[in-house]
Amino acid sequence: MQYAPSLDRAGLIDLAVHRYFAAVDRKDIAAALACFHDEALFTVQTSFTRHAGKAAIRRMFEDFMGAYATIVHRDFTCTVDAANGRIMASFEALLTGDDGQVTSLHNTNFWRVRDGRFQEVYVYMSGANVLV
Amino acid sequence: MTDYPYLIDIVTKRYFDGVDNQQLAQVLDCFTEDAVLTEVTSNTVHTGRDAGIAAMFRKLFADYEGIWHGNFVHTADPEAQAIGSQFTVLITPNGGSELRYENCNRFYLHDGRFNRVFVYMSGDNLLRTGDA
Repeated sequence: MQYAPSLDRAGLIDLAVHRYFAAVDRKDIAAALACFHDEALFTVQTSFTRHAGKAAIRRMFEDFMGAYATIVHRDFTCTVDAANGRIMASFEALLTGDDGQVTSLHNTNFWRVRDGRFQEVYVYMSGANVLV
Repeated sequence: MTDYPYLIDIVTKRYFDGVDNQQLAQVLDCFTEDAVLTEVTSNTVHTGRDAGIAAMFRKLFADYEGIWHGNFVHTADPEAQAIGSQFTVLITPNGGSELRYENCNRFYLHDGRFNRVFVYMSGDNLLRTGDA
């Protein structure tokens, strides 16, 4: 689906990296959810898992943020298609459990942005799905 | 510096057209000589256009009687000389049943050709190491 562009290059990077992932890393569910439309679709494509709507996405984040002591996303490489409201980013996710065990994933996200918020998010993971 | 249509066209009209029609020379012409293709979900690395990447495609073409890539959605970024592509793969092993994947690739170009490619697959890795 193609959406009318609403953010420029800097705005798309700011939304995906500085607002969304920064909120996830500080476990601020309200701020993370504020990046999504109410009817947004969040798909982990490498495991065929879909979370439809903000309530389902909230439940996913509650479980995810509760499962790890710390969550860090870093080393972003962004690819931006501002004319079509799309942004892709590759990054490392470092997830540390309460027992100190660290899970490192090298993932890629695609976001389709409508009116300044996420309408569709697609996640491709290098390992087992942690967004269940 | 290549433009937006060039990025779409090298991915679809040259690279995946060559893969689907099992045209090895057409496929390899899309890569720089020092290219590296990484299948991220299995951490399989194919190094060098005429060595690892060529061997990988020879094995792929020998092992599968039908390959189709479609349903593309691109995130194309001329400023970064990069493009991310999401797509469906329908692939049939020799004498076997058709498999469906929902994959993505990240392509990073140098001088108009793929220099680094990262592949994420929604199932078992199909891009295995070939005989040199």
